Amino acid sequence: MPPFVASRRKRRRLGKGLIYLLLLSSSAVVIFPYLWMALTSFKPIEEFFTYPLVWFTKNWTLSQYAGALEDPKFLAALRNSILVSTIVTAVSLALSIPAAYGLTRLRTPGGKPFLVAILSSQFFPPMIFFVPFYIILSKFQLLNTISGLVFAYLSVTLPICTWMVATTFRNIPRELEEAARVDGCGDIRTIFEVVLRMSIPGIITAGLFAFVLAWQEYIFALLYTTTPAAQTAPVILFYYLGQHQIDYGRLMAAAVLLSLPVIFPFVIMQRYFRQGRGEGSIKG
Amino acid sequence: MFKGRTKFIKGYLFATPLLLVLAVAVLFPALYNLGIAFYEYRPANDAWKFVGLQNFSKLWSSPFFWNSFTVTLLWVAGNVCLQLVVGLALALALNSILRFRGIFSGILLIPWISSFVVVAILFIWIYHPQLGVLNDILLRLGVVEKPIAWLASPGLAQLSLILANTWKFFPLVMITLFAGLQDVSPELLEATQVDGANRLETFRMVVFPTILPSISTAVLLSTIWAYNSFTLPIIMTGGGPLRATEIFGLYIFKLAFDAFDFGAAAAASLVLFLQILLVIVLYLRVVEREKGVT
Repeated sequence: MPPFVASRRKRRRLGKGLIYLLLLSSSAVVIFPYLWMALTSFKPIEEFFTYPLVWFTKNWTLSQYAGALEDPKFLAALRNSILVSTIVTAVSLALSIPAAYGLTRLRTPGGKPFLVAILSSQFFPPMIFFVPFYIILSKFQLLNTISGLVFAYLSVTLPICTWMVATTFRNIPRELEEAARVDGCGDIRTIFEVVLRMSIPGIITAGLFAFVLAWQEYIFALLYTTTPAAQTAPVILFYYLGQHQIDYGRLMAAAVLLSLPVIFPFVIMQRYFRQGRGEGSIKG
Repeated sequence: MFKGRTKFIKGYLFATPLLLVLAVAVLFPALYNLGIAFYEYRPANDAWKFVGLQNFSKLWSSPFFWNSFTVTLLWVAGNVCLQLVVGLALALALNSILRFRGIFSGILLIPWISSFVVVAILFIWIYHPQLGVLNDILLRLGVVEKPIAWLASPGLAQLSLILANTWKFFPLVMITLFAGLQDVSPELLEATQVDGANRLETFRMVVFPTILPSISTAVLLSTIWAYNSFTLPIIMTGGGPLRATEIFGLYIFKLAFDAFDFGAAAAASLVLFLQILLVIVLYLRVVEREKGVT
């Protein structure tokens, strides 16, 4: 083997090694904050203040979790979060599925530009809604209510949901639909038996996306809920931080509890983003 | 002719419920905000008065407005540059391996799905001057001699926030560029390598031109996001210390809900909106030029 080929191969192997090293260290940077949060949440409170810090405690405890779960405020907030996210998801899907169908499957003139226009509202800064939402919600006495939050959240979830469902619909071959019509299926049957049936994965993804967005929403919840009546879990975490003596243990445990429900949707959505070129991934 | 008409009506009929809700929840508030910008709100007697452009001129002469203007520019520039560098490096790395690609991309996407509030808490806790693990590591390694107040010193707070925000947002840039890299033609790549080009030359001549549209898109997205930021800074610094991290989102928030100056807040949000529109126009220009070249 000529020597330059060997050296080239060696260099290539070195390059591969460096690439894996980069990926490994980046993964470590990504995982570390969560790992640290989890490690902290199992530490007894006395060990928070020893210096240098205790990384791996020998006295594992669940007392921080018990503290969070015994706090009626946190429980009420979790309940509110689940309620708001579920309603927002249901309404988003109920409105976006027929709209996406109408704008993509019926060869509607202007359907595509219309969808783009709807999606582009995703780029509006949330700040332009700060004042008008506040005034509208207070006029209709919807401040500090679940309905008020649902209203505000729909402005975030509807455009992205419609876009995601429309993308799924567009990928269904038109021949299938036409075949069903030839077989004598009416409008409604075609919709249910061909279009919807084939788009179930896409619709589930859109629904999960809406749920996660609502679950994590923080800005509107902070601005429009000042009483525990409708405060969501993210707001309660902020409230924990605002206390004079911050209880970091309970805060970490609560943050872990808040992050857990997102794991399952994440695994599913990740698949969508890898195949879907992240087309609909406009809003975090 | 008639058939086309019914089709037109039917398509929009399906969309009507959605359009109605969007009109009420998005379009109307946006226009309402536009109107509010020309009014002054008096909280004392809950009254509105038309003041023309006075809200804007008030902003123009306010040092706090210009402070948040420059803070925002720094914030956007820092975030976009850092996210692009990290995102591009990791997209190239992911693209050049086959083994473990799924695992690595899965892990690297975690920040993107993380909730803003949780990310803010994670980093408050890491940056904490006494109890934070960052100072702990630096002290143990002997890099620093005494703990650093990451979020409490005016010089460092902005940088610390940008790092946390980059952690949250680099995956989007990464995934956008990774998608772009799939368009690089293998034949062209091979031909260039046969011609004796080294890695850097190949990147410059083949890879970079192909992913240029993806880079523009990634830059556009991260710019818009940086402009629209709110949650991380409000939780981590609240705009402080000494307004060193008071980006537009926080400035508008304080105008609206601390000072109850709704008119000025609406006007400031329009200024923010205009900057974003400007970025989008620039992007469209660049995209058009790219199309013209190829």
